[in-house]
Amino acid sequence: MSAQGPSKQPCARPGIQLENLRKTYPDNVAVDDLNLTVGKGELVAFLGPSGCGKTTSLRMIAGLTPITSGRVVVDGRDLTGLPVFRRDIGMVFQNYALFPHLDVRRNIAFGLEMRKLSSAEIARRVNEAIALVQLQGREGRRPAELSGGQQQRVALARALAIQPSLLLFDEPLSNLDAKLREEMRKEIRDIQKRLGITAIFVTHDQVEALTMCDRIAVLNHGRLEQLGTPQELYERPATPFVASFIGRTNRLAGQARGKVVEGAGWQLAIAEPHHGAVEVMVRPHRMKLAQSTVASPEAVNRVKGNVVRCIYAGEVIQTDVDIGGQIITVEQPNAGSEVTPEPGQAVEVTFLVRDSLVYSGAA
Amino acid sequence: MLVSAEESFLRGSTGGAAMLLLPIIVISLVGFVAPVVNLLVFSFQKAEATGALLGGFTFDTWHDVITDPYYRELIANSVGASLLITVLDLVLSYPIALYLHRSSGLRRTILLVLVISPLLLSAVVRTYGWIAILADNGLIDQLLAKLGIINPYRMVFNMLGVVIGLTEILMPYMILALLAGFGRLDLRAEEAAATLGARPFVVFRRVTLPLSLPGILLGSLLCFVLAISSFITPKLLGGGRIFLLATEIYDQAIVTLNWPVAATLSGLILAIFGVALVAYTRLLARLV
Amino acid sequence: MTDEKPPSRGLTVLAMLLFLFLLAPVLVVVPLSFSGDAYLSFPPSSWSFHWYKQILAEPKIVSAFGTSLLLACSTMTISVAVGLPAAYALVRLKVRGANLLMSLFTAPLLLPSIVLAIAILVIFASLGMLGTFKGLLAGHVIVTLPYAVRILSTALAGLPIACEEAAATLGASPTVVFYRVTLPLMLPGLVATAALAFLVSFDEVVLSLFLSGPRLSTLPVEMFHYVETRTDPLIAALSCILVVATLVIVLVVDRTAGLARTFAR
Repeated sequence: MSAQGPSKQPCARPGIQLENLRKTYPDNVAVDDLNLTVGKGELVAFLGPSGCGKTTSLRMIAGLTPITSGRVVVDGRDLTGLPVFRRDIGMVFQNYALFPHLDVRRNIAFGLEMRKLSSAEIARRVNEAIALVQLQGREGRRPAELSGGQQQRVALARALAIQPSLLLFDEPLSNLDAKLREEMRKEIRDIQKRLGITAIFVTHDQVEALTMCDRIAVLNHGRLEQLGTPQELYERPATPFVASFIGRTNRLAGQARGKVVEGAGWQLAIAEPHHGAVEVMVRPHRMKLAQSTVASPEAVNRVKGNVVRCIYAGEVIQTDVDIGGQIITVEQPNAGSEVTPEPGQAVEVTFLVRDSLVYSGAA
Repeated sequence: MLVSAEESFLRGSTGGAAMLLLPIIVISLVGFVAPVVNLLVFSFQKAEATGALLGGFTFDTWHDVITDPYYRELIANSVGASLLITVLDLVLSYPIALYLHRSSGLRRTILLVLVISPLLLSAVVRTYGWIAILADNGLIDQLLAKLGIINPYRMVFNMLGVVIGLTEILMPYMILALLAGFGRLDLRAEEAAATLGARPFVVFRRVTLPLSLPGILLGSLLCFVLAISSFITPKLLGGGRIFLLATEIYDQAIVTLNWPVAATLSGLILAIFGVALVAYTRLLARLV
Repeated sequence: MTDEKPPSRGLTVLAMLLFLFLLAPVLVVVPLSFSGDAYLSFPPSSWSFHWYKQILAEPKIVSAFGTSLLLACSTMTISVAVGLPAAYALVRLKVRGANLLMSLFTAPLLLPSIVLAIAILVIFASLGMLGTFKGLLAGHVIVTLPYAVRILSTALAGLPIACEEAAATLGASPTVVFYRVTLPLMLPGLVATAALAFLVSFDEVVLSLFLSGPRLSTLPVEMFHYVETRTDPLIAALSCILVVATLVIVLVVDRTAGLARTFAR
């Protein structure tokens, strides 16, 4: 298998397939039977808390961590068992992993030299990559002379120059400050879309995943909790974990009897019948503080409670309400009205029944 | 541990790794393990006056050496001198180490370099320096003469000279060991003691000293072991008149050519080594 | 942990006095080398370069110097050539029992030099290697190899593996990774190891004493024999030259290793 990678002809199964991917260590299971498919040209996020197996999975795809069992197939090629340097992937590391002893140009050229391209071709591709990440004028510098953001771009250019069949990102933005992160997110997304490269982006930041990616794979304790578009994950989270990991949510524990859930001092209506202990999750900004009983075409839940505190957060106003032993947070956009609830004030919290996500089992 | 348990992406042919390790393994076994084992075996042989070996395994040499009053005195002198040197090293090095620990920046770096640099010089050079200082007409004698004092004491080519010279030569080791052990010393602990009413010397005795115990023990072990196996300095500063374990081994091996005795004495050094190590471990566990 | 409070007056004075004691021999040897006296006397009554010139008049010392130089260069080369693959195998290839092997390789450092010296003497005698260059070389390598493998292993272990992983993802086979990435990044460690091996070999005296012969001797051994019989300032002059040479080597290493480190950062 030449280091130049597979021929770029259309193949039977484009994209990435992870089949029963598994990684075990003597004392724990890092990745537990991961099955998922990434379409060609898609940008998929591996999202989850630290220790969930997202980086391990990425490294197994790259070949940096040996696979315990399962298969990795990229564009119809079974990569399982292939050594790292034959996999034709481009990887952007968390700390960039630039070659400190080489300047920008030679860093980017490295992968091309491995593929034994002519020096003319190498020069052309390096210039192309530098232009793509907008680092013109800095080719002669060494990594130590560049800022964090610039180093990041070099790492990206280095991975792109080899025109890999797959791009892997291992939390590349976590060392940048907030503003730069936002900027780089958009740039990376633009480039990825423009070049149409299949990519996997590992991150623990759900905002990053939501804003950048076509689909998100939420992982927890080595298992796939849910795979879907940002909208699917946000509006219809499949598990309590996903519901609380993506976006913020209120959690109400109670007993369900059919379409009614009873808690300590409150009662809710739910869309589907449930029985036994359940958790009801409602997003803070799907709740309203009703001043009067407003008629609504849809089914509405109303809960009475007392204001604990009111936080002015600029764009929104957050109110913590005690509904009888449990405190929920209501978030409303700052419409400029002078009236904000006072602590101790009695209020009524309303939200749509269909915004009440119900999960079986105790909290 | 230099080798972590994490996996490396370079895992692969054990054959390749074996090839890379082959030269050093061969050298270690042939150049180190085999000679040491061979030497210990030699201690169970006996030699005639001519140096020829009488074959066969025997405890005679060990018996002869251990019961011989000459060798007993030799061992006692060696151990005694080494202990004295260790104590002197501790007392003289502690202030330097403490001073270094409390310094920072450029000054600390310079001082550290000054402490380490003697270690880069040959033992012969350093010993010669002491001969120049301690000899008749050397530095000390001339300094005292300027003050009008005639020095009645011989300071070189005797035990006094050996002790002085060896103490200084081993100081860098003690300093570095103490410094390593000072890691536990927190200025704040001393300040806390002071605010609780302890005077400076009490702070030193009750806080600084106990906290620096690991370094003290390590440095003491190091100096003792180096002192008892020291050869160059006793031989040169002793003028060939001071007999310690290491010089005796040399004489037996090169001059008398009685290798079994030399081997036995080497075994004794290793035994003393072992005892010191055990004492160190016990003390470390009990006092720290 | 940096202490805010500087050392006290009393401690400073005490430490400075003791520092004087610590550096005394070296401080004495330098002026002594310029002595014009025919015998050891400090301070000297007159000054001259006489003893420096006298060094060249001692054929044994001159030839021993050449031997030591050749020996140190050879030892340095062999130690690095053997220690580097070993360090790589232990640290990067993670062989099983690596820690045990490392203990074996560094064990010679724990043994008193006199014991190691006589142990090697006995075996080399039966192999007919006494008084030969290859015997001295073998002995020196045995002594310097533990340093080499230890320092190289530390240098390699300190290298974050991410760069090597990155190179692999870009298509570099393990051999290429080693030559194009690992080795350049290890340069400071390599230079330091080579310099240390050189210095340790050059100054090695106890083992060399046992292994040299009437026709082959090293500089430290000749110096030892010289001091045994004579104590005139010739040795002071020779010592000064060695001190300066050592300093130069250390500075050069710091420059190269330092320069390489700027590249590496």
